[in-house]
Parts: sequence; structure tokens; C-alpha cells
Amino acid sequence: MTEPVTGIALAVVIVGLALTTLVTRTSFLLAGSRLKLGHRIEVALRYAPVCTLSAIIVPDVLMHGGTWDLSPLNPRLIGVVAAGLWLCVSRNIVGCLAAGLLAFTLARLYL
Amino acid sequence: MGIDAEYRQLVNVRSARRAAFHAGQRAILPSLPGSAAWGLISGVAMVKGGLAVPWAITMSLLVYGASAQLAALPLIAAGAPLWVIVATGFITNLRFVIYSAALRPHFANEPFRVRAVLGFFMTDFTFTLFMRRAQAGTLPETDRDAWFAGVCSNNWLTWQTCAITGIVAASTVPTQWGLEFTGTLALAALVGPSLNVRPALVGAVFAGVVALLSHGLPFRLGLFCAAIVGIIAASVTDAFRAPPAGAPA
Repeated sequence: MTEPVTGIALAVVIVGLALTTLVTRTSFLLAGSRLKLGHRIEVALRYAPVCTLSAIIVPDVLMHGGTWDLSPLNPRLIGVVAAGLWLCVSRNIVGCLAAGLLAFTLARLYL
Repeated sequence: MGIDAEYRQLVNVRSARRAAFHAGQRAILPSLPGSAAWGLISGVAMVKGGLAVPWAITMSLLVYGASAQLAALPLIAAGAPLWVIVATGFITNLRFVIYSAALRPHFANEPFRVRAVLGFFMTDFTFTLFMRRAQAGTLPETDRDAWFAGVCSNNWLTWQTCAITGIVAASTVPTQWGLEFTGTLALAALVGPSLNVRPALVGAVFAGVVALLSHGLPFRLGLFCAAIVGIIAASVTDAFRAPPAGAPA
């Protein structure tokens, strides 16, 4: 387990990974109109973006180097809170990114 | 209808599709800084994780999935069995199956190749933007496939340009600045406004907590489990919320 994967094996891995992206992303889309999902599923899928992104964002913000960082001085937490506050005031995404990055950078440098 | 009228109609259809495509390209603009930073950092991480430049570029172009690529990197460096690496990528990508199911009704009547192409180019960013517009009722009435193609094309171009820049210039890009946080912020900014209804808020909290608790699970299973738990929590909350009479479902 110490030698990195190289050569043909690496090519196989890359093609394999590309196939996982292709298969998962196109899966239900390719079923087209033949498939009917129930109303309950359709409702559940409306919440797919918010739940999946939350599952991505929360560990990005509250984990650092494989461990939890729940401190209120966590620069990423401060950045996300600043971005959230900006978003409450204005719907401008670029301003929200700038506010979040600024708060994050200041917290990272000075806290 | 004379040939002249038919021709004029064809031109109109074409220009409407082009207009939808350009509208899509514009719609994703505010999120592009997030894609750019994420692409750049992914590119740098691939090279610093031990991939040679040509392999890293090939992977970026063929896989086009930052989270699967980053999950695979340490396994490649450690010489893990091939099936373990591919399985990890697959499970990291399982959320796309949910995305695909959510997009399906919008594109069910498009030709097979359109659905295949749109599917491959769909990402966390482009999917979230599409769904937010769909729920706000601000998607174009027609030519949604052209609109989404515009969204995806700009996102793809930005991500790939930045990823390849990161791969080629890996040693000169500063990683201690936490640039990748721009990607996290851009996702948060896209999804933030959807938190204004209780089921979404409940789902987000459940998904976030499960993601934190399940972080150590093998094959990156935590992400998918967290998403599923969140979606179930949101649906249950939604079912208990009495809909106002005559509201659209």
C-alpha cells in the first residue's frame, strides 16, 4: 500500500472515476418520461439542494484537519456568518462572497 | 406556409434558443468566483497530492468532479486497490443521482443526447441554481435546455480553466490563504435564500449534523447519508405543514 498508483492502473482509475461521474449525473435524467416518481418523492426532491449542500458546507466550515472546530473564533464560521448577514440585507451574491472572504481573512490573520 | 415564412420561423426559433443560452450564461456569473477558486485549489491539490501534470489535466477534463477527484487523491498516493478508489469516487458522487432525479421532470421531453450532455455537465453549483430558479418560478418558459446549457458551459469553462491553471502553476498558488473557502461561500450564498421555509431549515440542520457525525465513515459515505437524512427530515416537516388552500404543490 505504499507505492502510488501509476501508469495503466492510473489510467484505469481515471476512466473509472469519469464513469462514476457520468453514470450518477445522467442516471435518472436518461430515464426520461418513462419513469413516474410519486408525489411524495417529488416533494422530497425539492429539498435535495438545500440538504446536500448543507452536508457539504457544514463540514467545510466546522471541520479542520479531520477534527471538529466548533469554536466561535473559527475563521470559517465567522466568514459564513458574515456572508449570511450580508445575504439577509442584500441578495447580491458577489457582495456576499466579498463580505465572507473579508471576515474570514481578518479572523484568520488577527484572531 | 410559404418557404419564406418557414425560414423566418426557423430563424426565430434559433435566435430564441441562442437568447436562452446567453441568459443562462449570465445567470451563473455571480457564482463563478466560487467555481474559479474551487477549480484552482482542486488543480493545485491534484499536483501536490502527487499526480503528474498530464495525468492531473486528463483527470480534470474527464472526471469533472472536484469532490470525487479530491477523495481519490490520497488513495491514489497510497496505492489503494483500484476498486476501492473507484468505489470511493462513486459514493462521493451518489448525490448526483438525487440531483438527476430532481432535474428529470424538467427535461423529460428532451432528446436522449440532450439529457445525457446536460447530465454530464451538471454540478453542485449549476443544479442548485436551476432548482432555485425553478422554485422561484423564474426559469425561462421555453428553451430550458438551452438556458441550462448556458449555465453549465460557463461553469465548465471557468472551472476547467482555473483547474488547469492550478495544475500547471501549482507551486506558485498560495494555499495558506484558504482560497477554497470561496467555493464554500458561493455554495452557501446559492442555497442560503432557500432556508426561508421551515422544512428546508430542518433538513439543512439534520444534514449538517449527520455530516459532522459521520465524517469518519469509509468511502465518504457520510455525505450521502447526511443528504438522505436531511431530505427525509425536510419531507416529514413538509408533510406536517398544512398547505394553504389552493396553493400550487
